[in-house]
Amino acid sequence: MMRRFFAPLLAAGLLAGAAAHAEDTLSPLKFQSEGAFGSIDLAAAQRGFAVYQGVCASCHGMGALHYRDLQALGFTAEQVAGIAASVKLADGSAATPDSHFKEPAPVNMGGATPPDLSSIVAQRPGGTRYIYNFLTGFGPAPAGITLLPGHNYNAAFPGGQVSMPDVLRDNAVTYADGTKATKAQEAADVAEFLTWASDPNLSARHAVGLRAVIFFAFLTIVAVLTKRRIWRQEG
Amino acid sequence: MAESTAKPGAVPAEADRRDFLRILAMAGGAVGVASVIWPLVDALNPDAAGAAQAQPIVTVSDIPENSAKTVYWANMPILIRRLTDKQIADAEVVAMTDLPDPAEISSRVAPGNGHFVVVVGLNTGTPCELEGNSPSGPRGNYEGWVCPCDGSQYDVLGRVRSGPAKRNLAIPRFTFINKAQIQLG
Amino acid sequence: MEAKQGWLASRVPGLGCVCGLMKEGRAPGVCWIAALPALLGALLAVLLASGAVITVYYNPWHAYASLQGITREVRGGWLVLSYHQVGASLAFALLYLHLFRILLVRGYRAPAEFAWMLWVKLLALLLLTGWLGFVLNGGEGGYSSLFNTSNAATTLSGFPGAVAMWFLGGQPGGSTLARLLVFHVLLALCAVWVILMARAAARKARPMLQGRVVPFWPVYAAQYFAALSALALLFALLLGFAPHWGQGTQNAIPAAAMAVPSISYPWYLTPLAGLAGVFPSVTGHIWAVVAAVALLYALPWLDRSKGAPPGRVYKLLTWLLALDVLALGLFTACPIGPMLPELLTFWFFFHFLVLTPLVTMMEAA
Ligand code: HEC
Repeated sequence: MMRRFFAPLLAAGLLAGAAAHAEDTLSPLKFQSEGAFGSIDLAAAQRGFAVYQGVCASCHGMGALHYRDLQALGFTAEQVAGIAASVKLADGSAATPDSHFKEPAPVNMGGATPPDLSSIVAQRPGGTRYIYNFLTGFGPAPAGITLLPGHNYNAAFPGGQVSMPDVLRDNAVTYADGTKATKAQEAADVAEFLTWASDPNLSARHAVGLRAVIFFAFLTIVAVLTKRRIWRQEG
Repeated sequence: MAESTAKPGAVPAEADRRDFLRILAMAGGAVGVASVIWPLVDALNPDAAGAAQAQPIVTVSDIPENSAKTVYWANMPILIRRLTDKQIADAEVVAMTDLPDPAEISSRVAPGNGHFVVVVGLNTGTPCELEGNSPSGPRGNYEGWVCPCDGSQYDVLGRVRSGPAKRNLAIPRFTFINKAQIQLG
Repeated sequence: MEAKQGWLASRVPGLGCVCGLMKEGRAPGVCWIAALPALLGALLAVLLASGAVITVYYNPWHAYASLQGITREVRGGWLVLSYHQVGASLAFALLYLHLFRILLVRGYRAPAEFAWMLWVKLLALLLLTGWLGFVLNGGEGGYSSLFNTSNAATTLSGFPGAVAMWFLGGQPGGSTLARLLVFHVLLALCAVWVILMARAAARKARPMLQGRVVPFWPVYAAQYFAALSALALLFALLLGFAPHWGQGTQNAIPAAAMAVPSISYPWYLTPLAGLAGVFPSVTGHIWAVVAAVALLYALPWLDRSKGAPPGRVYKLLTWLLALDVLALGLFTACPIGPMLPELLTFWFFFHFLVLTPLVTMMEAA
């Protein structure tokens, strides 16, 4: 109900947003979902889903999501049915739109297991930007740091040593919308996708919040005026 | 609001304005309270998982002629059967007087697609799941379904033909959403 | 309208008294801050209503997953959860503000000491309810806090130990959250009752009306309405743009089998958590919390002023106490140096145990 109500408003906002951000969002790095009036960049999140599905899904699950939830990113019901049908579940059957995202086979790398990514942006200080920095933060260890066995150096990770390998590279996926799949672009897109996954209601929340603030600001002014008038006459 | 408290000295215009403000404030308050409460009421509607479960979509295009498939919905087996042209023609000539629970063919087949019969697969005599989905399985004398528990027999349209059951199989609510799929509920 | 009210009032006992409140005369010109308890009541209503909806979907055996389901699957579920979170945040903010105001004007002295004790009871209830809510999230922080608490409870002996065991039902296990959910709801209902009692007691303690009186309706009704609108505005701002303000990210992580070494509490529990953390062992923490609340409770007796108006030094000290508590919360959330929490905690106890009796006695003399 609420969503149906706000959808046109949101869509208008998103269109305007898309036109404004069609250019480079990497330098300087900018996420449409950031800030008080932020909303999910659906195109980026769709690309980010491609990155997740193509690169991350072999290690990380996203157990809180169903394939049908992807419709909120602008995929059509048929596209979602196609995405689900192409996923072979552990029992050999194909997934349906109502299935949860497939759980990958459990792995243990250097003593760590890949965390579920459903709510990862809400679970890390720095949120979206941290994910981007983490994914682009791999590199050779600076002098003086000895890596533990099975660990990689990552400048953004607390402590600098992480057991996840550097998995993103240029053209790790091919984008359906023709965007050039540079490593940084992939990191930014998957960060936007994970932001949506952690808070699927981000856009709706800001829209509802804005309306509520305008309404109650107006009501507060009316109420204060009323009170003053009554007090002048009777108080 | 009961007492209209314009003081003797107050200008009428002032009083009018104040009344307008008061009404605006009260109306605004009512709108505010209602819009705060509404999400709480709306949240008690079925959630996404419940909604998907309550009205499942079943693909029927993969059912071969003269066979049926069973889906479970609301804890009931639902039998969906595709009839052959001959079965429809045969069913049309059955006399109503031969039926314990008379029902025209038009009331038993799917509206919009006369080749599909959708029934609740529970015997109306002894409660028991019916047999007869596959052409090679037991189907009784009427090519329909039989009850393994009390031997009641049904025809292809799910009409009871011999007892102890006395009523036809129930028909669940459903609609064709396209040629290949029906939605239950 | 009038006739109808008469008809109803003659059939429903107590209704006449409620309608009477509307016409009741009051002293003119009371500051809006006196509306705080009414606002607190409104927030409690929001908390109860949203809590009722959450309970429909909440599953204490799969707490984290069921809350995820509420945000993701339930229609507008995220909004209902936010009502509850933001409502709790603001309820604490208003109660802290209200207590501070009573402290500042020394409103805890006879004949209002009974009302004050009820406000402190409300604080204790809200703190416990808030902590339970934090635990019921099924997050890492809440689980660790529960784990530490029940570990400490097993070492308590005698009556306190028995009470703690009765409350927690032993070590945290499958059904612990189910029992804590019941306590969460019961304590919230108790809070409603206490707030009503406190309001009634505060009314009784009000000085006799002298001179001009004004009716509650419409004079104070308009004031309360303006205050409520402003609160709604603040609520909407938080809900739309800072729904997790003061909550940290730790409790967004589902509880694992192991407790985390350092727990980040929601802002409204941090001052108390910091105060408790100064003492060694979790048992010490529990006693520290009890002692801090008990001191507030005993304030009417610690104050030796015997009715004299609050003097400058007392006011200054009360402001200092507020800063002390704020700093305690701030430096617990983001620790900057050693000894600071110790110092702030010392000041808290020093204020009530030494400064208050001393200064009030001197100012009364
Ligand atoms: C080869 C398996 C593997 C792949 C592929 C992989 N990861 Fe990881 N990831 C891990 C492991 C293992 C960890 C745990 C690291 C640790 O705690 O030391 C991890 C941790 C993480 C973390 C948490 C970092 C933190 O702050 O704790 C994030 C975020 C993450 N991965 C994102 C991704 C994304 C996005 C992708 C796809 C682009 C991806 N991962 C692909 C194995 C993988």
